[in-house]
Amino acid sequence: MEEIIRLEGICYNYYDQVPAVCDISLTIGEGERYAVIGANGSGKSTLLQIMNGLIYQSKGKYFFRGHEVSEQSLKDKGFLRFFRERVGYVFQDSDVQLFCPTVLDELLYGPLQLEIQAAEALDRAFEVMKMLNIENLKDRPSYMLSGGEKKKVALGSVLTMNPEVLLFDEPTNCLDPRTQCFLVELMFALSEAGKTLVIATHDLALVDDLHTQVALLSENHRMEKVGTSEDILQDEELLLSVNLVHEHMHYNGPSAHKHKHSHYFFHKH
Amino acid sequence: MGNNVPAFLLEKPASNDYRRGGGKLRSSFLEKGIHRLADVVTTGYVQWETAVQDSFFQKIDARIKVFFLLFFILIVSLKKDIFSEALIGGFIFLLVVISRLNLLIFYKRVLLLAFVFGFLIALPAAFNFITKGEIVLKVWQLPKAYSFWIYRLPAEIGLTREGIDGVVMLTLRVANSLALSFLVLYTTPFSEIVKALKTLRIADGFLMILTLTYKYIFIFARTVEDMHLAKKSRLVRQVANSEARGWIAGRIALIFRRTQLRCEEIFKAMLSRGFSEKIRMYEGRKLKTRDWAVSVAFLLIGALFLWI
Repeated sequence: MEEIIRLEGICYNYYDQVPAVCDISLTIGEGERYAVIGANGSGKSTLLQIMNGLIYQSKGKYFFRGHEVSEQSLKDKGFLRFFRERVGYVFQDSDVQLFCPTVLDELLYGPLQLEIQAAEALDRAFEVMKMLNIENLKDRPSYMLSGGEKKKVALGSVLTMNPEVLLFDEPTNCLDPRTQCFLVELMFALSEAGKTLVIATHDLALVDDLHTQVALLSENHRMEKVGTSEDILQDEELLLSVNLVHEHMHYNGPSAHKHKHSHYFFHKH
Repeated sequence: MGNNVPAFLLEKPASNDYRRGGGKLRSSFLEKGIHRLADVVTTGYVQWETAVQDSFFQKIDARIKVFFLLFFILIVSLKKDIFSEALIGGFIFLLVVISRLNLLIFYKRVLLLAFVFGFLIALPAAFNFITKGEIVLKVWQLPKAYSFWIYRLPAEIGLTREGIDGVVMLTLRVANSLALSFLVLYTTPFSEIVKALKTLRIADGFLMILTLTYKYIFIFARTVEDMHLAKKSRLVRQVANSEARGWIAGRIALIFRRTQLRCEEIFKAMLSRGFSEKIRMYEGRKLKTRDWAVSVAFLLIGALFLWI
């Protein structure tokens, strides 16, 4: 599997003071499904924003297809285009991602940026709308969409650019089970189509469903372990140590017992 | 799902290399503006960090600090000699030092504002055509004196001793008032300042609006920054200024719409938690012996400055 993304000793501090990620190194192969998991505030979203060249690491190096990605390199118009058309980012909050007047405009924005002919851009937009079952929404403004519809439009707005790598920030957050299921199926389809998927999440069921490679971040913003989803998800002690599962107390009449608990492990949802 | 994936999504890029050149990307006014807005959040965070430090001025109750601020600004305005103003300036400097504030950042801000709103505004008053007196520095010699209506321009133009004293006095007053205000702002969390204003009999409704406004400035700044990042992630080329202006206009409209919706949601949340016509805010903790001791000390020091 050819390497597509490589991070070497990445550090980032908010306000130049608060550490968000510390000394993160990882390699992602082409076509791989890769999940970055960790508790709230562990630095998953920050890492994804660095991978998309939206913020820049204070220490360390980031390589995309062997080319260094930095504030300096992204000032080169040639490299900016090369990078942006290959790496797409689906934000956690779809509201901030949708900034065009209507759904159709959202889907056309990317291809038109890439200077694709209007007719082809329209074809792409309609094909993506058909795939996402949102053809009926094409003339609606984003504030008139439900949470699930917004997520689909946000994803569609990235897909019309046909990126090689898709970065998903907490993709299943605040979605109903049916939309979550739709999203998982879509991710599988995109993965089978050869896309590299990088997902930041604390949804362990999603990680298990997608059978991803996993990078586990600790609460002190460091890399705790890298392994397959099977290896990581079966190590309950490890998950407990990074606060992704918790000890749950059950009362049975006068007695009580504790066990490690997560909805994923015990109820598979 | 697999069969539904459009054909174009199966296409691979022709090359894993990029065409170099095409020039460098310039930061647009939009990018610079957004960064300035992001600084609002950073400044707020830094202010909160310094305000919760365990140092002298930070430990004093906010109510005492608000009264200290008003009392000393009154003294600064009443004093009429440079020596007293300089002494007050020295006293504030001492408080800044023992409160462990960053002197460079603190005085950079104070002096810049004092220069603009004190020195520059008062500077014309140093000339003899505004303030009569003994010329200590001759600047210009005109062939003759000119008179127009009630105004008179003397032949010899220069800075007078009385004029310079006036400019220095005003600049020191502005600098001291700013330093006092920044000292309280940097050593008190904003929420405590708002509660302290309650002791000045300011209406709870107004304080509630102030609190919500302050909070939503930060939320607004974050939303704008996030929107900018979302746009940046899909941006593949230099954006023309006209295009950027169009985007900003669109964002303003959207934020206005979202603010309206947010406002309705907040009002519903307030109603669900028992909001009625009357707003009641928590008074905060009782004053400690240390607060009383410090307030007596400030009163004595203030009286001393008035007496000098």
